[in-house]
Amino acid sequence: MLIRVHSWFAFPSILLTGLALSSAASGAERSDLPTFKADVLPILAENCLMCHGQEPRQGELDLQSAAALLQGGQSGPAIVAGSPDRSLIMEKLVSGQMPPGEARLSPEDIDRIRRWIERGAPREYGRTADGDVSPHSGLPAVSEKDVLPIFQVRCVACHGKRRQEAGLDLRTRASRLKGGRSGPAVLPGDPDQSPIIQKIESGEMPPVEMQLANSVRPPTAAELQLLRRWIAGGAPSDPPISATAEGNGGPTVTEEDRKFWSFQPPVRPPVPEVLSSRLVRTPVDAFLLARLEARGLSFSPPASRLRLLRRAYLDLVGMPPSAAEVEAYLQDRRPDAYERMIESLLSSSHYGERWGRYWLDLAGYSDSEGFGAHDRFRPYAWRYRDYVIRSFNRDKPYSQFLMEQIAGDELADYRKEQVTPELIDRLAATGFLRTTPDPTDAPERGFIAERMNIIADEIEVLTSAVMGLTVKCARCHDHKYDPIPQKDYYRLSAIFQTSYDPYEWLPPKKRRIPIGLERENEEVAAHNRPLKAEIRSLEKGLLKEAVPFLDKLLEERLANLPEALRQELRALAHTPQDYQGGELSRKFLVVRELPEDESSQVRRYLAGKFKKTLQIGLADLNRRFPEFGPKTESLRKQLDEVKGKLRTEPYVRALMDTGGRPSTTFLLKRGNHLSPGDAVTPGVPAVLTTGLTPYRVDPLKHAQESSGRRLALARWLTQPGHPLTSRVLVNQVWLRHFGRGLVPSPSNFGRSGEPPTHPRLLDWLATEFVNRGWSIKALHRIMMTSTAYRQTSRIGPEALELDPENILLSRMRRGRMDAEALYDSILKVTGRLDPTPFGPADALETKPNKEVVAKGSRAGFRRSIYTQQRRYDPVSLLEAYDLPRMTPNCVERENSTVATQALHMMNGTTVWEHSRYMAGRIIDRVGYDPRRQIGQAYLQALSREPTEWELERSRAALEQFAGHWKSRLRDDRAPTPVHWAAQWRALSSLCHTLLNSAEFSFVD
Amino acid sequence: MVVRRQSPPKPEHGMKQTSPTDSPRLSRREWFARSGSLLYGTALASILGKELFPTDPLLASGGQSYDLRPRTPHFDPKAKAVIHLFMNGGPSQVDLFDPKPLLRKYAGTVPNRDLTSDITSPTQSGGLLPSPYSFSRHGQSGMELSELLPHLATRVDDIALIRSMYGAHFNHEPAIFFMQTGRTVATRPSVGAWVAYGLGTENRNLPAYVVLDDPKGLPVNGIANWQSAWLPPVYQGTRFRAEGPPVLNLDPRPEWPAPLAKAQRSLLHDLDRAHRRERPHESYLEGRIASYELAARMQLAASDALDLSKETDKTREMYGLNREETASYGRRCLMARRLVERGVRFVQLYIESQIWDAHSDLDKMLRYSCGKTDLPVAALLTDLKQRGLLDSTLVVWGGEFGRLPLSQTQASGVSGRDHGPSGFSVWMAGGGVQGGTTYGATDEFGHKAVENRVSVHDFHATILHQLGMNFRDLAYERHGLHERLTDQFPARVVSEVLV
Repeated sequence: MLIRVHSWFAFPSILLTGLALSSAASGAERSDLPTFKADVLPILAENCLMCHGQEPRQGELDLQSAAALLQGGQSGPAIVAGSPDRSLIMEKLVSGQMPPGEARLSPEDIDRIRRWIERGAPREYGRTADGDVSPHSGLPAVSEKDVLPIFQVRCVACHGKRRQEAGLDLRTRASRLKGGRSGPAVLPGDPDQSPIIQKIESGEMPPVEMQLANSVRPPTAAELQLLRRWIAGGAPSDPPISATAEGNGGPTVTEEDRKFWSFQPPVRPPVPEVLSSRLVRTPVDAFLLARLEARGLSFSPPASRLRLLRRAYLDLVGMPPSAAEVEAYLQDRRPDAYERMIESLLSSSHYGERWGRYWLDLAGYSDSEGFGAHDRFRPYAWRYRDYVIRSFNRDKPYSQFLMEQIAGDELADYRKEQVTPELIDRLAATGFLRTTPDPTDAPERGFIAERMNIIADEIEVLTSAVMGLTVKCARCHDHKYDPIPQKDYYRLSAIFQTSYDPYEWLPPKKRRIPIGLERENEEVAAHNRPLKAEIRSLEKGLLKEAVPFLDKLLEERLANLPEALRQELRALAHTPQDYQGGELSRKFLVVRELPEDESSQVRRYLAGKFKKTLQIGLADLNRRFPEFGPKTESLRKQLDEVKGKLRTEPYVRALMDTGGRPSTTFLLKRGNHLSPGDAVTPGVPAVLTTGLTPYRVDPLKHAQESSGRRLALARWLTQPGHPLTSRVLVNQVWLRHFGRGLVPSPSNFGRSGEPPTHPRLLDWLATEFVNRGWSIKALHRIMMTSTAYRQTSRIGPEALELDPENILLSRMRRGRMDAEALYDSILKVTGRLDPTPFGPADALETKPNKEVVAKGSRAGFRRSIYTQQRRYDPVSLLEAYDLPRMTPNCVERENSTVATQALHMMNGTTVWEHSRYMAGRIIDRVGYDPRRQIGQAYLQALSREPTEWELERSRAALEQFAGHWKSRLRDDRAPTPVHWAAQWRALSSLCHTLLNSAEFSFVD
Repeated sequence: MVVRRQSPPKPEHGMKQTSPTDSPRLSRREWFARSGSLLYGTALASILGKELFPTDPLLASGGQSYDLRPRTPHFDPKAKAVIHLFMNGGPSQVDLFDPKPLLRKYAGTVPNRDLTSDITSPTQSGGLLPSPYSFSRHGQSGMELSELLPHLATRVDDIALIRSMYGAHFNHEPAIFFMQTGRTVATRPSVGAWVAYGLGTENRNLPAYVVLDDPKGLPVNGIANWQSAWLPPVYQGTRFRAEGPPVLNLDPRPEWPAPLAKAQRSLLHDLDRAHRRERPHESYLEGRIASYELAARMQLAASDALDLSKETDKTREMYGLNREETASYGRRCLMARRLVERGVRFVQLYIESQIWDAHSDLDKMLRYSCGKTDLPVAALLTDLKQRGLLDSTLVVWGGEFGRLPLSQTQASGVSGRDHGPSGFSVWMAGGGVQGGTTYGATDEFGHKAVENRVSVHDFHATILHQLGMNFRDLAYERHGLHERLTDQFPARVVSEVLV
């Protein structure tokens, strides 16, 4: 079968064979090749050449000859020979983008051009097969940079930095000429005799059976031609690229561009004078008041103590105060009680859980891969989550926080250092750029296009979260609004080339640093030891059952082969004896490992050739012998069960430099990795230079395996005068406290974003932030102790008229709790919160009604940040309240109000169960007096006493609920004491109602 | 995540004024008059506008408000709803829709290099595999269909068959994302979410975008298939379960005494009204109270919509509910009709994981998949038509790709076909589609689309167009980008298959 399939490789002009056949088959009259002159040029002359001819030459595109089409214009080649789908001209014609205006080419004409491209875009010579004319004449010389992408895309996976199959490295000109064990790969000047051309044309390379495993595809016909031309021209080399040479061509960034406000460093403004200076508690107030007073407004009166208390709790720790905390605060009559309360919240360990969650949004954190049917779990992703929480709790300077997340692995040599919690933290920090959905563990989903998407997603995370820039458009073309040329995008991308090399890709399972604390390692080993023993014994049992079937299947397979081979092959198949447990059932029989010496040469050849025949696993037996499955079912079930209990060895899911000589980064025209443009060196957006030390990569003394590209980025970003870093972060903190960013588009500080409502306040805060050592807690203090923050959220008539949208902050903004605050608050007020921090994420379970909930423990339920953050089927309650899908990250939450939320809150398992618990504890505390029950429920749920009206209404409701419950309990013939059980359930229903109330989930 | 719209005078939801070539813009009143059943007409729109979906600028946390109010399309729509019969797995075009007699002549050979360019597993690939099924012409149009689709064959004059679709990827996950979102990545909104965003719902008691997935299991990519991604979550597809309560937590807890839920709602109503009274001008609080009331109504509406016992025996039989083979898909087809009837905008049906994915045992798998779906699908078309709903409902049938004309040989020895993204067939019906049309063609082997090729973006543009929306103008501002379903890709409306 194999031989027949690939028989066409044997023909020298495969294209022609296919062609002759297909045109005959279609019954077309013309049996010869479509040519440029006869078939295409007339169409182009009539429709296109007025703009794309000698003069003018729009878009630097000349359509007068086939060679010129191949050459293309500003947007890259107009055609890709043999591939209309990838040919720009087809796209433009089919979509009607070209010709511009109303005119359209007829479908027949378009089709004629398509067929010509499909047939390899033959040039003027008609039947190229018999032509003496050199197929390359008239085409521009091919330089090394033209062919380097082909080697990178098609070859280096096996002949590159990490692997040199047959001793061959195809990364550089020198190494190609030097060749491998069988001699040079390239013979300059002689494409026909160059082994690389011969092997590609014969189909030997890339090997059919290796293509999928390495996610590699063979070179296209066009690429093959390019290689030929390069070799024919003597395989010339290029001078090395330098950053200065790159600047040529393409749009450049002007000084005018750099003058845009957000590309200039923040300058500290003087604090303005205001009329109501008594209202100024922190400079924030002065800036805000100056604007309010200009409109004839001022701040609103302060919010009541209790509302402010609840607001501050929810803001800083994401949960309301407990009844005891409310009482303690009410009793604290000291003048600085409020400030003290803020301080205590900032030092609470719950602070990092709240603010760390915001950062995880920006990073796009997830505990699962989010691709494919199963949404595979990421067992050690939580290390990054814990790192983030700890960093916030310690008020780690933001500059250091960024430095560790971008280049934690380059800060010191983790290969040599002793494993400490700090080292693990620093490596885990790089999880920041490991968050996006990554399907590439499966080779069929690991082709270069997918890899490029992952790199692009990580760049989006970095730029939207940290730099407040939208650079995504520049992946395919120069940014239309912001001064970000396409080249800048690929410079940025080159910074990550050494850790995310698209050509020699490391799939996620290889991007692990297998270290854990000794304690962790021991724990896992101790946990796994007995399981592994059990697996070994189960597998032995399975093998015993399998032996007769194995023999039978092997003989059946061998029966198809010549007698002479059979004995030799039988001897090659064997069952491994030294297995660890777990892998046996996959392959009962494997090919014996052979020594690399002369004597075994023939056998090694056979082993390679007949590997598939000799390997037999569980799946093969099941397929061949229907009776085998049922016979071994219970054994296999046990085996799966035990395997499911194994814990993964500790590791850190890190981003690390892959070392060695970095591959070359190319600008990719229209973002297509098969249309490489110029090579680029690592760099940062050229518009960001004012007041900055330029981006510069220095070799790392302490970590020589690393290129230092990311560390250089981190240093560049964390310069005190960076125009974006401090402003973007300050804006994020402001957004979370005041409900709207000073720059209302937090991920876009560029020209297409929204300008700041209070530019001077933004700059004052940005400089203050840096002056205070990049302390985020200092920012909270400045913002939360302001008069602005302490205002009521009630709207007065003047404010309604003069500041209807509250842009000027004439009152506090009122907002709905986000998903996590709601979930965590319910846990806290009902007494179900298990405050244990850190560690592996809590598993989820699906209830019979399909509601997804966290698996609790006897201690209750941990905060939402410690439950599994799955991309598919997350916790239902969180999902209903706009838990973001990380696509790839979330810079600002949505805030919807929809009926499904009500359904979850009213009818879901979680809230009702917690309400019952809450009622039980209230009765334990205050007994059965309804007034006291109601008072306690209000205090716990809403942080206040009920009003007289509420008390009365709730009492009436309690009675009504109890009546309903009594009849139900009687009907059910319940063994419980009806009266008391009904009282408890009625109170549960009241608590349940309070948790459902608008006041509970909207923060005043 | 959302970057708000920047300039104040933009029309609703990134919808732009119509382009000059489009038909005149309808007022909302006209739109309702046109689409108007009495039940869900103009009066409802005003209720929705006032109570349910506030657009008050004071909405919580200063964020943009997004809602499901019905919105005016860019121009006079042909269809007001879509039923998307998503045939995930990759139905084989050369065995169902696209006869290629030459396959017999060249059986077992591989006549050109291009044929193998999409193969996932090069080691399993064989030569050309002729279709074992016979094709014949049907209806007035004489459309050619395979013997595996006898029921659809009776409806060919209602459908427009496109034989020249092409995709971008040869693997399920990216190809499904491509078909759903226009890109092969996991991070964009699905077409249903875009439609919900663009048009809202016409039934205030039901979601705009309903998904009827197969009780036998989620499709590849799971719930990401109907994600709204960075579009606001209200536009995400809502799963209605075909068995049991249709929506999660729709019914009050079973252990509660029957009158309790009402008593509790009454208490909640009083408390929330009091809370609201103290906070004037905060209309989002009104929206929130309304959302609780809607939840209560939805309990009735959704249960009613999916209650097939209300259908006659004749109808149930027509959909094959009386036969095991067709009952499961038939139920969902019938539910789809009931939902569309009630004003749901976009109904999407999935099929148990990968039954079209015939890598091996082609005959067995195709007979199973066609046996399961052919009759219910044809019944849906018949039923929509006899109720006068087909004109206003766009029905779309297709997978994420087709299959190669080559054989794929597994160790089991029974041949199938590998994925074929370069050329495959889909069809559309109703909603302004010209029935009986056959459009586009693949090459002589059914491998690549070569004539009148239709890209996935063209396909999306056409769906939006039938709903009265211009794909260039249905946009969402994000990170300063003008995001669209077709992204920056060229696209065109396939007007050749339209009336």
